[in-house]
Amino acid sequence: MGLLSSYLKLNFLGLFKFLNSMNWFIVFFSLINLSMCIYEDQIGKFDWRQTYVGRIKFAQFDTVSTAKKLIVATEENVLAALHLKTGQVVWRHVFESASTGNIQLLHVSDKIVTVSGSNPYLVRGWDSGTGVLLWEWSLTLQDNDRADFSEWWVQQGLLVHMLPAFNSHIEVTMYNLLTGHNRGATSKLPAPWVNEGCVLTPPFYSCISGNVGAQRLLSLDVTSNVVQIISKPLFDYISLDIFEGNLRPLDANSAVPGFIIDDKKIVLIKNNDFELLSVNVADASASASIIDGSNGALLLQAWTDNTLGFSLVAHNVNTGQEVSELKCSDRNLRIPEAEIAAVMCTKTAKEQHACRILVNGADDAIHLMQQGGRVLWTREEALANVVAAEFVDLPVSETEAAIESEFDQKEGSIWAAFSRRLQTQFQQLQTLLHSFQHRDRTVENSSSNNLVRDYFNLHKILVLVTDVGKIIGMDNLSGEILWRRYEPSLDAESVAVFTRRTAWHPPYDAYLTIVGKHEETGNGLVISLNPINGELVGERVLELDARLLQCAMLHRADEEKLHGLAVLYEDESIQVFPVSSERLVEDMYIYVADRETAKVQGYALKYDGKSASAQKIWSVALGGAGSAGHRIVAAAARSRLERTHSPGRALADRSVLYKYTNPNLVLFLTEGPDPVHKEVVRAVAVDVASGAVAAAAAHRRARALPLAVHADNCLAYLYRSDKHRRLEIATMELYEGKERWLPAGAAFSSFASERAPAVQRQAYILPAGATAAAPTVTERSLTDRHVLLALTTGAIVEIPWAFLDPRRPAMPTAEQREEGLLPYAPELPLPADAVLNYNRTVHRVRALYTHPAGIESTSLVLATGLDLFYTRVAPSKTFDLLKDDFDYHLITIVLVALIAASYSTKYFASRKMLKMAWK
Amino acid sequence: MSLTKTNKKFKWALDFSQKSRASASDLPSPPGYSQAANANYSESSKETDSNLLLIKKLWDVALGPLKQVPMNLFIMYMAGNSISIFPIMMVGMLIVRPIKALFATQSTFKMVEGTQAAGQKFVYFIGNIVNILLALYKCQSMGLLPTHSSDWLAFEEPLTRVEHIGGGISML
Repeated sequence: MGLLSSYLKLNFLGLFKFLNSMNWFIVFFSLINLSMCIYEDQIGKFDWRQTYVGRIKFAQFDTVSTAKKLIVATEENVLAALHLKTGQVVWRHVFESASTGNIQLLHVSDKIVTVSGSNPYLVRGWDSGTGVLLWEWSLTLQDNDRADFSEWWVQQGLLVHMLPAFNSHIEVTMYNLLTGHNRGATSKLPAPWVNEGCVLTPPFYSCISGNVGAQRLLSLDVTSNVVQIISKPLFDYISLDIFEGNLRPLDANSAVPGFIIDDKKIVLIKNNDFELLSVNVADASASASIIDGSNGALLLQAWTDNTLGFSLVAHNVNTGQEVSELKCSDRNLRIPEAEIAAVMCTKTAKEQHACRILVNGADDAIHLMQQGGRVLWTREEALANVVAAEFVDLPVSETEAAIESEFDQKEGSIWAAFSRRLQTQFQQLQTLLHSFQHRDRTVENSSSNNLVRDYFNLHKILVLVTDVGKIIGMDNLSGEILWRRYEPSLDAESVAVFTRRTAWHPPYDAYLTIVGKHEETGNGLVISLNPINGELVGERVLELDARLLQCAMLHRADEEKLHGLAVLYEDESIQVFPVSSERLVEDMYIYVADRETAKVQGYALKYDGKSASAQKIWSVALGGAGSAGHRIVAAAARSRLERTHSPGRALADRSVLYKYTNPNLVLFLTEGPDPVHKEVVRAVAVDVASGAVAAAAAHRRARALPLAVHADNCLAYLYRSDKHRRLEIATMELYEGKERWLPAGAAFSSFASERAPAVQRQAYILPAGATAAAPTVTERSLTDRHVLLALTTGAIVEIPWAFLDPRRPAMPTAEQREEGLLPYAPELPLPADAVLNYNRTVHRVRALYTHPAGIESTSLVLATGLDLFYTRVAPSKTFDLLKDDFDYHLITIVLVALIAASYSTKYFASRKMLKMAWK
Repeated sequence: MSLTKTNKKFKWALDFSQKSRASASDLPSPPGYSQAANANYSESSKETDSNLLLIKKLWDVALGPLKQVPMNLFIMYMAGNSISIFPIMMVGMLIVRPIKALFATQSTFKMVEGTQAAGQKFVYFIGNIVNILLALYKCQSMGLLPTHSSDWLAFEEPLTRVEHIGGGISML
């Protein structure tokens, strides 16, 4: 009875407690799971951000303020100040990415003046030290059509606006720089000789005009009150037989107005007259600029030769003598199409020149050099325009590779295995001793030596393909650039990157292929390289003979563990690289979606014993029949790396809701006009092997955003609802139902299943603008799934799929609550602690890339855009890792103390027993 | 009282000194005393009595588990189907005790020999089995038994694929 009563008491207590706290428990645990923020001391521990400004358009040295800076304005509509010693961004303003943010003029004096936008223009003054906006006024031109031909410059505190009317006249207007007050009316200068080839070298406007054979070189100071045209026959300066009509101004805010005729002769304008320089242009591609030197003006020229590398020469303008201390020639420095962006020279005590030269290359990299050609710093501004990124595994260390190869060899007698064992252990001992000897040296070049896989496979190499054609390999933990390769012929508009062999197969090296277009011909271009060191391998740089429709990587590897690359040409023929992999073409399907017509076509690849061929097997018009104007906005396939080890969801009644995990499913998002509802967005999930439509949804009066997420059986996409004027995110989940269609571990075939999955749909309001979206990917997809969204505010937020779950019921029953379904709420919460990049704003995120780490809990994230941001996320917390602040010392002390205590008590106990026995 | 004691003593002890006093025993028995009947009766009745007691006691032991069933049922009803520490402890006790008892069957029935030993053991065994079944039923109703396919979901082989795809938006 006593037992029973004690049972009952405890039980009543427990029951009561449980019933009371059950709901709170769910809420509490879900909250624990959902808070994802990091501690203050973890800032920068797992993540890094690199800020970029884009390709330099204008650059000027800020010589006025005490802290010397470089002020740049870029093609990405960014105004920034760079630190002169390190190249770091001191301050930065990111303007609108549309034409309203285009920077037309950068003028640096004691204040910085910019003209940005395109009719209306905004004239702004900035403080050069802090980047604070000082004044702003706007300016609207009457003649909107010709506004694009406007030229701007600042002269004696006045903003000069010049608008040429070809073959007619030039309009010049001057404004007060601070107020925008118009000093006088617009003056029209008659100039019937003005044409498209004219160049502006403030304040002179120069043209070559006249009939062939009798051209004249004309120049006009447009700001002077008196119209004075300098007109000279062209043959005074250049032989007319070989003249091609090319006129270009000197670069980098030349101290004396001047221009280069036909890449050969340099003509300066001095005292209202032309002056031909005795120094010829050193190279046709040379960039030239005039600077004020210690004794007279200097002509500075920089160019890159294919064999001789980068060269820089300086000549005295008056004497024509070469200035030796500025000269440099570096065979190893490759700056394609080097261009002098800005120069600043000061005189030292010994009448020497101390110069800082900013050189801009065609690969968007900027280099700051000092006299003699020493590069102080380099900024890879190409990274502001990353178009594709790939995470590549690192190879194992040599010792580990030796161990693996040892265990790989199955054949051989027991004695052979024993000797091999001894050998490898001897090697290991050697390397250990070696590492002790050279420890101090290895620390220095750790970056190159430490490129080995770590235990959790968190250390990888990021291969970034940029818009300009530069391919960059980057260490993902430090963000350090390991290698760079410039491929000027690569048109990276639509580029595909495949890791055709990972580094998991020693002795073979990793193999990465980039498929793009050739810049000039538009034919396919295949670049194969080793992603670890950036060296070309295999096909190297291969230009194909025809234009490409699409490409795919074969799923079966050859004997060298290399996956073949199949390219589908415009004429629907295929080619496989390497040719020996052709026989491995089997069960392979390629789909091609045409963006503009919203048509998707599927091809089956076959190998008939001699050659591989492609056969068109299906075609789907996603816009529907007879609905023109539909276009595909986004296509989202599952990640190639995704392996799903969770076949279903356990419900509250302990039955299983089986997922429809079709690995061949692709989500297409289209938008187009609709006769009734203005615009309509359609989301269609197509099995691209068979062409069957698995699920579809339509949203009326909406416009799609090019953001779609597809992982496992979860689909999500964004659209802008015109009806409600808000951004919405719609989600779909596909289920087979409570009965499974195939037994566990069976092979899924798109052609064998004729049943349609059950589709759950839901839409939520996103209270922010989004620019990129990606799902988290983990090793086995057992971890919760989160959706990462890059917002226009510069934040990257992590939304748990539980919030986006289309099964969220409006009024959850007890069972649904037990399952963990949250009640439906239309608006998605975006809490501040879900922001991955805390206060490190990343501007204009264009894409998010996710990759699984070696541990199940963690997914690696890279955000590209104007900035690069890398971090790692653990959607279900790091359940397979010890906490960051795990107290190793404490647990060691406790363990040691416990062991000591147990042994001492054992001793004392035995002594006491002995004493007792003698009593 | 002392007489019975000596009697009892006689029962087990051999008294060699009796011989000398044999002559004295020639005395006729008191009236109404029958030696044969007395000896026989007392011996047999005593034996059956203690046997009966033992059997009774052993039946009590054997039926013990079965008698616990209603109480267990009540406990189970009171514990509810929620998963929290006390119900789990109770269910653990419910399942562990009969199993322990089953293993201790031999020691429990060590002193028993006789006709009913098999039956008692059988009843005892059945009773414990019933208790275990009850506890299992409780586990089942609490959802602690991995009997559903959802319990084995994590161990399933993932699907493999037949077709492989590649491609995307046209590169033209």
